[in-house]
Amino acid sequence: MEFLKISKAQFQLSVGRMIDENFVYGVKAKSPSYEFDRLFTADELCLNYNITLLSPNKYFLPPRTPLMGFKLDGKISVDSMVGAQPGIIIGIHPYDLHALKLLDAVFLGNLKDAYYQARRQVIAIIGIDCLQPWQYSFAASMGTAFPPAGFDLWLTDTGDKYLIEVGSEKGEELCRKYLDASEAGEIEVKQREKLREESLSRYKLSLDISPQLIPEVLNSGWNSSMWEELGEKCFSCGSCTMVCPTCVCFDVRDTTELNRLSGERYRIWDSCMFDAFATIASGENFRPTGTDRLRHRLYRKGKYMLQRWGRLGCVGCGRCIHACLVDIASPVYAYNRLAREARTG
Amino acid sequence: MKPKVAVFDFTCCEGCELQILNCEEELADLLSALDFVEFREAMTEKADYYDIAFIDGACSRKSEMARLKDIRKRARMVIPIGACACMGGVNCLKNYYPMDEVLRSEYGEKAEYYETIPARHVSAVIPVDFFIPGCPIVKKDFIRVVQEILAGRIPYQYNDPVCAECKVAGNVCVFEKGMTCLGPITRGGCEATCITGGAVCWGCRGFIDKPNIIAEKLILEQAGLSVEEISKRFNLFNACKDRI
Ligand code: SF4
Ligand code: SF4
Ligand code: SF4
Ligand code: SF4
Ligand code: SF4
Repeated sequence: MEFLKISKAQFQLSVGRMIDENFVYGVKAKSPSYEFDRLFTADELCLNYNITLLSPNKYFLPPRTPLMGFKLDGKISVDSMVGAQPGIIIGIHPYDLHALKLLDAVFLGNLKDAYYQARRQVIAIIGIDCLQPWQYSFAASMGTAFPPAGFDLWLTDTGDKYLIEVGSEKGEELCRKYLDASEAGEIEVKQREKLREESLSRYKLSLDISPQLIPEVLNSGWNSSMWEELGEKCFSCGSCTMVCPTCVCFDVRDTTELNRLSGERYRIWDSCMFDAFATIASGENFRPTGTDRLRHRLYRKGKYMLQRWGRLGCVGCGRCIHACLVDIASPVYAYNRLAREARTG
Repeated sequence: MKPKVAVFDFTCCEGCELQILNCEEELADLLSALDFVEFREAMTEKADYYDIAFIDGACSRKSEMARLKDIRKRARMVIPIGACACMGGVNCLKNYYPMDEVLRSEYGEKAEYYETIPARHVSAVIPVDFFIPGCPIVKKDFIRVVQEILAGRIPYQYNDPVCAECKVAGNVCVFEKGMTCLGPITRGGCEATCITGGAVCWGCRGFIDKPNIIAEKLILEQAGLSVEEISKRFNLFNACKDRI
């Protein structure tokens, strides 16, 4: 592991150099929140943020992804639209990188998704520790407060400097090309440990059980009265899934030009919270009520994804808790309550 | 053969028809794909038969009911466009008053020369094949529906709340800024354009098929709206209770 350090002023200059030569995406203020967006100048970058509206997974699984173009004049032909614009994302928080690992498991497992893979290969990741979590986060208790492997560079805000951990060859190259960083020593690395340790006490929400026990709690909680109690308030609006960094569902649709000679197939984010999500051609809906769908979503986050992909479907970012206007989307509330109900019978 | 298309106006501001004419970029393609045979805002010709009849506006007179039925007989497909045609829209606000009072307030002394009935949407009078909601309709949505029909597909009807598109657009929810919004119960498909533009959703695309009205009332109440304010908000575009 290689550690470097750089003053914040120097880092800003480095970001400026990156912007000159690359598509750079970073965290910008969108009052009262923040968002990942294209950076045009280095001073737009806000690294001391608490959360972004959408997660950076939008760069790997865009809300709308063209899949192929087709031509219908005379001979039918198809053009694949696999491809990606190389870029650099600056400011990914640990929980969002954990979420990206789940997306990797889904899209780069046995069946490789060429569209996702193309983006994943050419977009570099510069992450940063989340030392001031927002009030909805429960990442500490989910074990996602610190980054997993898989970043190119990782920053820690140590006051007037950033400590940088180099995580890949691509990261090394970024350092060589853009960062005037100097070697960091044991003192700085120790300081990082301390800062990380301290950050754990700043989480307002926490899961009362070990995350490994969530599936068990769900197994015993299928018939809990909680589902109905929460579910009847649901709008089926999908806000909780749109903001979720681990949501991977999409619908595939076609468009055809007015001249009927050409068209496009694309995929677009879908949501299991939508009324029609589990409706099949015969008209039957396997999850006809808001209650069914709410329960499905929380089973998916706490059990099904783990079974299917080996990782929990919730990284504790808290975005869904905040996004839900009727306060029913919280995984930590639901799992804690089911755990309590399981204990007290 | 190009499909024969007509556009009719009933009780409305005719803004939705204007949206069709405003499809500047696509107008040439529209004209080569469709054979417009009747369209009062754009031409004088008339026809006896239509493959697609787009209806703009609500029905608010007995004579309009007869006219709708006549169009239905002669059209393969009838597609209401806009809030007025799809849900009755703002026209239905008058349904809260006695019809003679409505006539008097509008036409004064001349009221006796006019007739009116409670306003209703097109599908309350005749069966329809699809509908394109919005006040006014979104150009892109109109083009999309025409494309789908031309390709022989049943167009996709949005039936999920505006909130989903609002999130995708990366907006801060207006409830966080002390404003209120009908997005959670309103039919999406507009890409949450009003919220992105700095306003709130007033429900111009009508409610989704299964809106959670109780939950919406709850959040509006919590945001400090009175019962009257809430019902005003609900009724602006959606006063006709039996929507499509
Ligand atoms: S379920 Fe909620 S808290 Fe968990 S990762 Fe998704 S948005 Fe974040
Ligand atoms: S749980 Fe909340 S955010 Fe999710 S669909 Fe229901 S109302 Fe919308
Ligand atoms: S729906 Fe709105 S824009 Fe369209 S005709 Fe009615 S009032 Fe006008
Ligand atoms: S601003 Fe309106 S449409 Fe957007 S998320 Fe909030 S309630 Fe939904
Ligand atoms: S945001 Fe609401 S009011 Fe605005 S266009 Fe969409 S449905 Fe209509």
